[in-house]
Amino acid sequence: MSDYSDYKDVWVYLQVEDGSLSRESLEVLAAGRKVADKLNQKLIGVVLGPATKETLKQAITYGASKVIYCNDESLTPYFNLRYIDVLTELTTKRKPYAFIFVENELGRDIAPRVAYRLNTGLATGTIELDIGEFFNALEKKKYENLLVQIRPDFGTRIAKIFTPSRRPQMATIRPGNFIPLEPDTKRRGSYEEYKYEGGQGSYPAVVQDMKELPKPKVDLREAKVIISLGLGILKDGKGNARNPREAYDFAVKLKEVIQAKYNLKAELGATRALLYANLKELEGLLTHDNQVGQTGVTVAPDVYFAIGISGSIQHRVGMQKSKKIVAVNTDPGAPMLKIAHYPIVEDLYDFMPKMISMLTEGNEGRKIVAT
Amino acid sequence: MHFHKHYAYIMYILKSIMLIITLLKGVPSKTTQSASLTGILNRESMEIVLNPHDLKAVEAADYIKRRVGGKTIALTMGPEGKLSPIVRSLYTAEVYGVDESIILSDRKMAGADTLATAYAVANGVKTAVERHLNAVDEILNTVDSGKDALLAKADELYKQNLLPNSIYSNLPAVKDSIVNRLVNGELQSDAAKGLLEAIKLELGRFIVVAGIKTTDGETGSVGPQVAEGLSELYGRVLPHATYVEHFEIEADLEHLVADRVLGQVSQRLRMAIPCLLTISDEYEPALPNPLEQYLVRRNNYMGKTSAPIVWTANDIHADPLRLGLGGSPTIVGPGIDVGKPPVQKMVDRSLVFFTHLDKVELDGKIYGPFDKGDLADGLPPQLMEQLRANGSVGQFTVQALVEELFA
Repeated sequence: MSDYSDYKDVWVYLQVEDGSLSRESLEVLAAGRKVADKLNQKLIGVVLGPATKETLKQAITYGASKVIYCNDESLTPYFNLRYIDVLTELTTKRKPYAFIFVENELGRDIAPRVAYRLNTGLATGTIELDIGEFFNALEKKKYENLLVQIRPDFGTRIAKIFTPSRRPQMATIRPGNFIPLEPDTKRRGSYEEYKYEGGQGSYPAVVQDMKELPKPKVDLREAKVIISLGLGILKDGKGNARNPREAYDFAVKLKEVIQAKYNLKAELGATRALLYANLKELEGLLTHDNQVGQTGVTVAPDVYFAIGISGSIQHRVGMQKSKKIVAVNTDPGAPMLKIAHYPIVEDLYDFMPKMISMLTEGNEGRKIVAT
Repeated sequence: MHFHKHYAYIMYILKSIMLIITLLKGVPSKTTQSASLTGILNRESMEIVLNPHDLKAVEAADYIKRRVGGKTIALTMGPEGKLSPIVRSLYTAEVYGVDESIILSDRKMAGADTLATAYAVANGVKTAVERHLNAVDEILNTVDSGKDALLAKADELYKQNLLPNSIYSNLPAVKDSIVNRLVNGELQSDAAKGLLEAIKLELGRFIVVAGIKTTDGETGSVGPQVAEGLSELYGRVLPHATYVEHFEIEADLEHLVADRVLGQVSQRLRMAIPCLLTISDEYEPALPNPLEQYLVRRNNYMGKTSAPIVWTANDIHADPLRLGLGGSPTIVGPGIDVGKPPVQKMVDRSLVFFTHLDKVELDGKIYGPFDKGDLADGLPPQLMEQLRANGSVGQFTVQALVEELFA
């Protein structure tokens, strides 16, 4: 067993976007601060590539005790193998206790190879972090002050992942699960420029081009109200097939009414199942940008409507931190109804017009009785 | 034969033998499977299907084969009984199929996290490549053993799907394979050996493709980690590109240019082959030129092998200490609940307070305080009646719901 007693401090990998730290970087700072405080260790932000003094200061303002930055010219444009080399050298020399990345495309591009090269574990998709102990029954040994990496596991439960006997303990956090700390401009911290010692190196790959992509039309993370649709919209309460476009139109109406009446940013969401059903009626109306859940976006709006969504764990982990959940489902056994603050066992084709009418007319509207 | 024609022929037979290895994973078919009381899953009883993201990898591998020729190999890890039907189903597809499949199946590999999985898979990929190198070596060793021995050996290896048509073929259309030309005296032993050695070098230029992630919770770590594992095994860096939406192989067949998405940026990466790609769900294969397809078809391997190859830890020469649960740095602790159930209010069913009440008295007992919207459940029936009668408590309505949601 190796001696890891000299491994200390919690590191977080930070990304610069449009001249300032990305929203997700602020989230990973909050995640790191929480565990660093419990460990009584420093929180160190790592920034590779160009960053202004103001940007680096932002890391301190949002929770870091120190920033290590490296602006070697070889780090622009972003090139995965180079970043992996620099991070591996830095980590090998400085020996952090834990190293946390954001689970976005960049985190997924570099963190796994850094972990493999360091021969340590990588707990991905973490939605909560803590410090705790782990008893290894085989070794009859108790490990204390470990990073507890909490993630949805194999689609059925939430599991705690530990990396007891390797360092650093590496994790990626899923965006949308940690709330950035309140900025504190009085917070003091230190800055250190790191010079990569590995030389220019020669790589079997080269970046030929970088292009900015248009911003997504829908940003669910900004929405205060999300109205999400699931496969349940294909049938009404009597089990009759319905054109999903009807439910979509109701949802759009509900969104518009809420936006107009309360001046809240509202968006439409969808389950993976609904999107992957590739329904002709909804073509082009709902896209991957609308997808809530493990393979889509994780959201925590003030109000979340789950319309015709049974509530698989993959969907639930993407929205369960919503402040108020309204679930509409005719199946009383639907898991979504169990986690909803407002479970509504009713035909969604009855409920949605009622809701719209209440918002526009102040009453539930005329009851339409089917004959 | 004219020089340029001869040269083109050499280039052609050397290059169109690419091994394209697709990494596949079997995942539980249902996404809403509930855990048992102990939180432990009975994976054996689950229906296992191909990870849907991996279909794009199969398509990409098939595209490479149609574009430059070679052989597609599916590689997966897990219980053979569960995975065999999945990989077998891929043979039957004429397009988007695979030529051969390998299942890494060994109790020693069970319980692996991404690091131990990537280590095993990297060893599996290397072994698969070496198997083809060894086949060429066997031909090299038989070149001088006489016509009959050479033909017998070549036929044996060809039928195991280990030799490209360019080395040996029993297809009537392919008359100019190295072995045929040797046997016919069109090629000297030394020249043939030179060509075979060059083919061995080319076999080192393989491409590994994988899906971007799996549906059962992993988040795309295994692909990049397999690239790192192969770098470790080969002692040189094997590049990777994640989230590939489009790629082309350059005419020299030594480089691959991939377009991939990183957040709000699209990046074009030019990589030396061998390399590894994880294929985005957005990927759509282009249609290769029909002439090209015809040309490369002549240089594929025999065809499809019917039964999956099953390898144990021994077969892939892996260090048992780095496999399975024991080789995994991460340990899964006991499962925990998804969170406490919330206090629930049901429209037209729940009884709630309509106003704030500091306290209410009944038989000398004091209840409260109550806030507007608080659930009135659990109060003595007599008190409840009183409160309902004076309008303090009533049914939770859609109107009340709207007020609470947007207050």
